[in-house]
Amino acid sequence: MGNEGTYPYLLLLWLLPLAGAIVNWAFGPQLKRAAGPLGSAFVGVSFIATVLMWGAATQGVPGGAIGAHQSLFSWIPGFDFGLLMDPLSLLWTLIITGVGFLIHVYSIGYMDGDKAFARFFAYLNFFVFAMLTLVLSDNFVGLLVGWGLVGLASYFLIGFWFFKPSAVAAARKAFVINVAGDVGIMFAIFMIFASVHSIAYGDAFAFTSYPSGWLFAICLCLFIGAAAKSAQIPLHTWLPDAMEGPTPVSALIHAATMVTAGVYLVARCAPLWSHDANAQLLVGTIGALTALVGAILGCGQWDIKRILAYSTMSQIGYMIMGVGVGAYEGGVAHFFTHAFFKAQLFLGSGIIIHALNNEQDVRRMGGLRAKLPFAFWAMLTGVVAISGIPFLGAGFFSKDLIIQGALEHGHPIMYAVGIVTAGITAYYMCRMLFITFLGNYRGNVDPSELGIRHPELAGTPAHEEDDAHESHGRAPAWLMNVPVAILMVPTVLIGWLMFGGENSPWAHFFAQTFPHETMAAPAPVSEMFTAVIVFVCVIIGIAVAWMRYGAAPAAENAVERLRVESVRMPAVLTNAFYFDAALDWIFVRASQLLGTLFGRFLDPQVIDGAVRETVFSAQWLGTLVRSFQTGLMRTYAFLIAIGATIFMIYYALAAGGVK
Amino acid sequence: MLVLALILLPIVVGLIMLVMPSRDENPVLAKSIGTVVAAITFVLALGSKDSEFSYQWLSRPFQAALHFGAGSISYWIVLLLAVCTFSAILATNLPRARAFIGHMLILEGAMMGVFLAKDLLAFALFWDVMLLPVFFVLLGWGEHPATAWRYFVYNFAGGLALLMATAAFGILFGSTDVIGRPDVHVIGAWVPWIFVGFAFAFLVKTPVWPLHTWMPLTYSDTPAPMVAVVSAVQSKAGLYGLIVIGMAFMPDYLKAYGGVFVVLGVISLLYGALTALIQNDAKRVVAYSSLSHLGLIIVAIASFNPIALQGAVIYIIAHGLFSAGIFITLGYVEEREETRSLVRLGGLGASNPKLAGALCIAALAALGLPGLAGFVGEIVILTGVFQAGYTWPAILALIPIVLAAAYMLRLFQGIMNGPQVEDLPVRKDLGWLEGIALAPIVLALVVLGVNPHALTTFDPAAYNATHVNQGVATR
Repeated sequence: MGNEGTYPYLLLLWLLPLAGAIVNWAFGPQLKRAAGPLGSAFVGVSFIATVLMWGAATQGVPGGAIGAHQSLFSWIPGFDFGLLMDPLSLLWTLIITGVGFLIHVYSIGYMDGDKAFARFFAYLNFFVFAMLTLVLSDNFVGLLVGWGLVGLASYFLIGFWFFKPSAVAAARKAFVINVAGDVGIMFAIFMIFASVHSIAYGDAFAFTSYPSGWLFAICLCLFIGAAAKSAQIPLHTWLPDAMEGPTPVSALIHAATMVTAGVYLVARCAPLWSHDANAQLLVGTIGALTALVGAILGCGQWDIKRILAYSTMSQIGYMIMGVGVGAYEGGVAHFFTHAFFKAQLFLGSGIIIHALNNEQDVRRMGGLRAKLPFAFWAMLTGVVAISGIPFLGAGFFSKDLIIQGALEHGHPIMYAVGIVTAGITAYYMCRMLFITFLGNYRGNVDPSELGIRHPELAGTPAHEEDDAHESHGRAPAWLMNVPVAILMVPTVLIGWLMFGGENSPWAHFFAQTFPHETMAAPAPVSEMFTAVIVFVCVIIGIAVAWMRYGAAPAAENAVERLRVESVRMPAVLTNAFYFDAALDWIFVRASQLLGTLFGRFLDPQVIDGAVRETVFSAQWLGTLVRSFQTGLMRTYAFLIAIGATIFMIYYALAAGGVK
Repeated sequence: MLVLALILLPIVVGLIMLVMPSRDENPVLAKSIGTVVAAITFVLALGSKDSEFSYQWLSRPFQAALHFGAGSISYWIVLLLAVCTFSAILATNLPRARAFIGHMLILEGAMMGVFLAKDLLAFALFWDVMLLPVFFVLLGWGEHPATAWRYFVYNFAGGLALLMATAAFGILFGSTDVIGRPDVHVIGAWVPWIFVGFAFAFLVKTPVWPLHTWMPLTYSDTPAPMVAVVSAVQSKAGLYGLIVIGMAFMPDYLKAYGGVFVVLGVISLLYGALTALIQNDAKRVVAYSSLSHLGLIIVAIASFNPIALQGAVIYIIAHGLFSAGIFITLGYVEEREETRSLVRLGGLGASNPKLAGALCIAALAALGLPGLAGFVGEIVILTGVFQAGYTWPAILALIPIVLAAAYMLRLFQGIMNGPQVEDLPVRKDLGWLEGIALAPIVLALVVLGVNPHALTTFDPAAYNATHVNQGVATR
């Protein structure tokens, strides 16, 4: 895969963020406030180098190699490493470095005054490097290296405020669940290597005679990794907790880039998936379920970042459904548009959180439209885009590609789930928008009147945050506003790239990337019909949200209505369908129980006990032990023991000499 | 001659330090001498690749020679030993430093002898000698004398078995000067017994379940600098022996008992990982993780696959590096906080960020983070094990990788993150000398994690690991 050659820009764009991470990490104390601009510059230059790679990444002959390939080194025969930049990795690289750069700039403002300012940028740069490793690798092990390193960066950044126990626990949970995913990919690698004696994508995809059942097993194992990283059911439970990290981290890692790695993996392995209908069905089903469950759970959240976290989970469910059923271009398109509008939504929420002194509970917001007009417009365009309102936002174009794609590939149930979820999405996103920006400000209302049971748990405790943020707002406000403003352009407009079906720029870009399957039958309904149905559902969702939270009567006695809703929230929603509890009982507690059995009973009592009884209760040993307590004996003992050793050797030889 | 210097220099200096009159204790001088000797040893070790020394020692009842030389695997273990000893001595901060460092040097020299020996008898002799410094340090510096005796009884039982097997080998086949000779391949009625003798010694030393109960006690009682070397290098003596003796000379028997080895290895993997999960003594977490990690190498060797064997060598070095790194940093933690209980420790990272960074890197390597050497060993081993047809061991061996993430993060976060639990002393962050002690280890973990090619240049066929089935697809 890819045209072999030497590509200095490719190496440059890959290694620059690593250099930035090392510089920020090593010279953090000296750099002080310069760490932010410096870290951003490394990623910015990396973005420019990516643009310069455009030509090489998209060149190729039809049916032949496409993109740029650069060999690096080899561990042992079969384990060969290299970089590959083709249209698929180019797309991801553009987002990682481009949106990544904007979020770096935003962070200069958001993290200003934090004690560990330079450390933050070191981690952020390191994340960009790791994510680039993931998408630029030309083989499965290199992908896994990037896969693990983004997990590490995510761990560091979730636990960035490591004096908070909740952040520490969330970081560990995210890491361990992701290692469980890594292990799935490892097993897929074993099967691939045993089949083709190579870890390279090209060899694995070109191979056609996998033993029966192996192709499905490989896809399944790869998907375990994808599900853990991309927060698919049932491995999604770490993502809402991951919101413990600073908001720019949520925007970059837990919305725009890292959590879409699963989508990348399935799209990259399209040649494998396209050959196994069961794998397609499995991944499509999990994706659809995740989209639906995430959307339902999004309706029951009060923390603005957790609402966005569940919506991320739900939107990635769409993408996974798309690439799963074989609508690769649609799934990847939704990654592309989602990266912009979800980053914007998170950064917009960051402006709110920043302005309200780290308040994250939407019940304690309200009426912010007048106070924070820029944030309102940022959130509004984001909500329009994610809800899929026709032609006004990017999400409409990409989401419809997926929903229609599910039908075209013969999955009517997924098609229906996609439509229903679109309606729910519109509902909970508008719910968040209306509660936050309409009505009157409720920040000075007593938390218990709003139904907030544990006010100290809602949002980030202010006093701890004061440790980290010594002073807000020394940095100028434009540092946070400009990146959001820039993101608003693609959020509104970028979807037009996907307009026009076969002739769209999007279809041209990926013309040689994905396997083109012949459809069994044309979809029974047209794209236009689907778009209308989706639109009807979206309108219903928005209307319900408006009646419950936006309209004048609802806004007037919002305090009472929110209290009632909080109190009456079904337990199944507040416990997020008990996924957390189930995983905890099945895996965590079971392991601890076994560990306790082994460590507290079996090891000291049974295995060691037997030895103790036979050897150490002997009288002779006790006497010997006591005589060694005196200091002088130790010095002699060394010589004695050497003598004994030599004597034993002599004895062994003499015994043999008789022969 | 160079190899002889590698063995004798540390032993002679160590013995002199031990027998010197103890009136004028000067810990700085002792540490300086120890560090310089360890550094010289390291430089010598770098150049020892083609060095050999042989002296005909016995002709009756069998041929035996004081024959030493670095093979393609032992060269790297010798380098590992030199690096770890250097780091450990530099990190030493104990009472009676002169005697302790003397023991450290003797330990280094004795282990040099084990890994450089080309003669089975010399191998067995140095095997027993390398037990002694640990034994005396446990008696002199440990918390419970019973631990020293437990270490001694277990390992000397192994040493005795090794010695008898060696003698039997020599008497039956006429010569023990055989390590590294590809043409030696023994079979016969007595060979199973000889094999069992060797295997017992190797499995106790590694250790493998259920012969492991001396190990958590030893690891938690031995002072950090020495346990760093013991877990990094001494625990590899058994694995090394299994490759260059068991696999090389008696492949038929290793293969015949292969199932037993695989089962014991897998049990060790799971048992160690699960037990590590609930330990509250930081050093015991690492001890049980060692049981788990070394079980993987046992599986790799028993699978008789060239890729798994190459992975095993990578992992031998990687495990040495990260376990030395963890034990040295845990030693720093204990010096500062005067406890290593995960229940009492907490929040140390706020006042000691550099120490936290050091422990973090070592712990990440131990949990198999991609990009560090431990990961390379794990994935190459398991790729080979799966290719050899051991599907279930490969699947089961993946579980401890997840558990490792859990217990290593519990260890790291329990010490460094969160709020302070108790009012423990607040002391200075890592000094530059303490940092230099860790630098070579961290550097090696990163370099080998990116590209371990240097470690895999040996020919697996030389160790008889060629009789493999080449995977399901081509079967």
